[in-house]
Amino acid sequence: MAENVESWAKELPIAYQRRSLGENLRREALWVAGLSAAALYILAQWGAQFGYWQYVVLASWYVALLLGGMAWRPLQWTVLATALPALAAVWLYAHGQTPANDWLLRYVLQGLAAVLWMSAFLLLATLAYLAHAWTGQAAVGRWATRLTWAGVIFGFIGLGVRWRETYLGHPSWGHIPVSNLWEVFVLFCASTSLFYLYYESKAENRSLGAFVMPLVAAAVGFLLWLTLIQHMNQIEPLIPALQSFWMKLHVPMMFVGYANFTVASLIGLAYLLGNWSTRHGGALAARLPSPEQMDEVMYRAIALGFLFFTVATILGAVWAARAWGGFWSWDPKETWALIVWLNYAGYLHARVVKGWRGNSMAWWSFLSLWVVSFCFLGVNLFLSGLHSYGKL
Amino acid sequence: MQTDTMVRPAQSTRLRLLVSFLGSMRLAVSLLVLLAIASVIGTVLSQQQPYENYQLQFGSFWFQVFRDLGLYNVYRTLWYTGIVAFLVLSTATCVTRNSPRMLRDMRALPVRQKRSAIRGQEHFVSQDTALSADEMVSRLTALLRRGGFRPRLERDGDTVYVAARKGRFHRLGYFLTHLAIILICAAALYNADIPVKWAEWTGTLRPATNFDLPLGEIPKSAWMPENNPAYRGIITLPEGQTANAVFELAGNGYLVQPLPFRIHLRAFHVRYYSTGMPRDFVSDVVLYSPSGKVLKSGSIRVNHPMAYDGVEIYQSSFSDGGSLLHLQSYLLGMPAAHPGMLSGRVGQTLQAGNSGYSVQLKDFSLYNVLPRSALGEKPDPQHPMVNLGPSYVYIVHDPHGGAAEFKTYMNPIYRAGQGYFIQGYRQSLGAEYQYVYLPVGPNGGVALFLDYLAALQVAARGGAQASPEIFQQIFQMLLHQENVTMSAAEQGRFVQASLDALTQLRDYPAPFLLHLQSFDHRWAAGLQVTKWPGTVPIYWGCVALVLGIFILFYLPQKRVWALVEKNGAGARLELGASADRNKDEFAREFAAWERLLQDSASKH
Ligand code: HEM
Repeated sequence: MAENVESWAKELPIAYQRRSLGENLRREALWVAGLSAAALYILAQWGAQFGYWQYVVLASWYVALLLGGMAWRPLQWTVLATALPALAAVWLYAHGQTPANDWLLRYVLQGLAAVLWMSAFLLLATLAYLAHAWTGQAAVGRWATRLTWAGVIFGFIGLGVRWRETYLGHPSWGHIPVSNLWEVFVLFCASTSLFYLYYESKAENRSLGAFVMPLVAAAVGFLLWLTLIQHMNQIEPLIPALQSFWMKLHVPMMFVGYANFTVASLIGLAYLLGNWSTRHGGALAARLPSPEQMDEVMYRAIALGFLFFTVATILGAVWAARAWGGFWSWDPKETWALIVWLNYAGYLHARVVKGWRGNSMAWWSFLSLWVVSFCFLGVNLFLSGLHSYGKL
Repeated sequence: MQTDTMVRPAQSTRLRLLVSFLGSMRLAVSLLVLLAIASVIGTVLSQQQPYENYQLQFGSFWFQVFRDLGLYNVYRTLWYTGIVAFLVLSTATCVTRNSPRMLRDMRALPVRQKRSAIRGQEHFVSQDTALSADEMVSRLTALLRRGGFRPRLERDGDTVYVAARKGRFHRLGYFLTHLAIILICAAALYNADIPVKWAEWTGTLRPATNFDLPLGEIPKSAWMPENNPAYRGIITLPEGQTANAVFELAGNGYLVQPLPFRIHLRAFHVRYYSTGMPRDFVSDVVLYSPSGKVLKSGSIRVNHPMAYDGVEIYQSSFSDGGSLLHLQSYLLGMPAAHPGMLSGRVGQTLQAGNSGYSVQLKDFSLYNVLPRSALGEKPDPQHPMVNLGPSYVYIVHDPHGGAAEFKTYMNPIYRAGQGYFIQGYRQSLGAEYQYVYLPVGPNGGVALFLDYLAALQVAARGGAQASPEIFQQIFQMLLHQENVTMSAAEQGRFVQASLDALTQLRDYPAPFLLHLQSFDHRWAAGLQVTKWPGTVPIYWGCVALVLGIFILFYLPQKRVWALVEKNGAGARLELGASADRNKDEFAREFAAWERLLQDSASKH
């Protein structure tokens, strides 16, 4: 009888069944194996030249991808769909191909080309999401999601290939492409869309895209301006202060933070407009997830963002301690990071401890967008300081 | 928790009131937001500038107001530190007030709960089933085990009590985050050399304001104790020189921090990329003990500081260390044949012959690689940067007490085939440079242009009318005299460029041009020297903070209590549960349990 009780208990929805790490690893065996193989290959190939920090970087990326992929399967496909083309491009470059003599590189895989593809897909996705929210047609929504996926994948392909391209011609220039405004904008567009897709799949509702993606589209617009008018896509060597392995952790983590905060604040906007439409009788409220659900997604996004933002800020401080001789120099970028952080600490306390919900928190989350974007962009454009390499 | 952190009027003695005020969440949130807002100031108002700049910017009234508010170094003011201290105090209060409850939460759960307590949980369900009590219990426990709980049973006659929980140590997260905050802030305050701030506050330590004094003559009142536990100073050290003290900016003056060793800068060099952009800054230094014994030697690079018993030395900047410049001075309107010679080191002031003019050599920099946009050139994706070679800056004081600053670049830039030397000047420090573009002759240099200028003036004095033909004629003559050959196109460009330069020179504030003939370069390295005993606690604090936040977010505590009692032929289940985080999600989980139990009850 014990067995049949056990089997009865198996009817509990998977989401609420606990699986040990071991079980999880087994269920995701392919992913774990593939990722581990990749990591081992890297070690076998370059381990000889590794200093302790390269181990740190590799381990961090390995763990992050492993857990991320186990928590959310689609990430596994994303990594695969990004890595293979990027590696193909690296292979082509290694075999003497260049954008000049190889059409595949020229039109698709070359860093710049891939980024332009990303831009195109994300702009189309935005239109599709708006159309979906307007008409409520499920098919349109599905297409919007597919287009966003395409954009995300091309974005990361672009960054990956560009990483290789920084070494071409000038081996001494090589650096992870998160060093100037152009590169971080690519990262921002891709990662924000990726995290949006994550929350979309959690909330099982596509109308949110009509609120999140327009901002991504705006960022794409700015990116295109940087590319076509400012020619900022030129690969340039790193200034001495940036030649540090900390950059490989600090910047990507920052952007996990930015991406989540951005998504959260735009869901806040959706929440507010949803409420408005229920009061004034509009179709919107019907399309959006329930207020409670949005409120929860908002909190989850901010929580995840806060965690990464905290780590990233700490890494930044440690880096500063190595580069400038002080954890904290109160330069504008640092200070604004602190402002963002304090702001969200305030939000979390209000929500978690005082149990605030609803409109006020939606407003808080939405208005935080301005704080975040000033930290991300405003500082580089309007204030100068130690971080001014991010300048136009 | 809300009620816990709020004032209970019933028991509000003064102390209680104070404590519950300090520990109140309302205060915490307000402080967090207030601190965020206060922090903005220092980012919009550039900090620690020389006071003159602020004076210019705000006018004397607001300058004083802002100075008294300490806005020129906000983050070191008492009021800002005060807010931080207040936040720390509030956090500490909060932790002490919450800890009893939280520690209680971490103790093992009693398996037995009063019926009322079970019903009092956030989620509650009661069921009568045909199943036997034992069957019901085994299902419930099986269900909980599936859900990752470890249920414990206690039997009392016909009644079975069940208790289970997850995330027992969730509260640990709270302690970790908040104690970390306290630790980090405390260590940071310590590193912000409190003792020195205190000495400044009490006046025993007074910043010196005269930046030109040699070390020996700086008043003792500006010297910090050598055993100062923490400091962060800077020193600009020319190649080949030695220092045993560093400077710390304070208000509109500075303090002197003696070092336990002497720093000798053997050499400084800059490594460049092929584009001419700097790739690395390297200082080769030797540390000597006061008695002259070599303690350590090596190179300091950006991102690669040097450490010597608790003191870290960083490569933070570089400048000219007094390069020797040999300059030729050409009088405007005179032929370039016999230029005057001026020689001196950067920092010195030279007399320009007996003209009554004096030239103060202000700065020299070896490389100038600028983005085209900075020069107002049209962008060129292939060559975004222009290399203008060495540049030097000098101030010319005229006999009537006027002065103007000049900046000259050594490499010409090329526009449409014609080369130009860029010569900048400005009447006042704040102002933007105005630029004069001096055409480069076929044999390099500005001689041809100057001769042409002279010839034109002679002609003008001779009463010649200004007309394109005349300009051409005079230029032809000049070419003939100096027997240089230029194509017609080159001539055209050169004449046009010269006439443009002529108009640009109209309000040029000096009667002569200086041209750098040769130089003997000498660097100075800007080193930052810090001593920070508080770093290790900070690192541990950061680890605790991150760990704590993770626990708080992702390991919520879920508690389950149930009792199953015999009920006629069947059994009765009363199940209550609550979670203290992500409640909405737990509500769904509980609903799922309910459903499963329901249909198990309906089966049979
Ligand atoms: C710089 C100051 C502070 C920071 C960075 C900070 C950070 C945090 C974080 C990240 C959380 C977790 C929120 C969540 O689980 O979603 C939290 C929870 C909490 N904080 Fe703070 N906090 C600070 C100051 C304070 C102060 C002054 C108080 C006292 C009023 C306080 C009381 C609490 C309480 C009661 C919780 C809930 C703990 C729990 O539910 O287990 N915090 N804090």
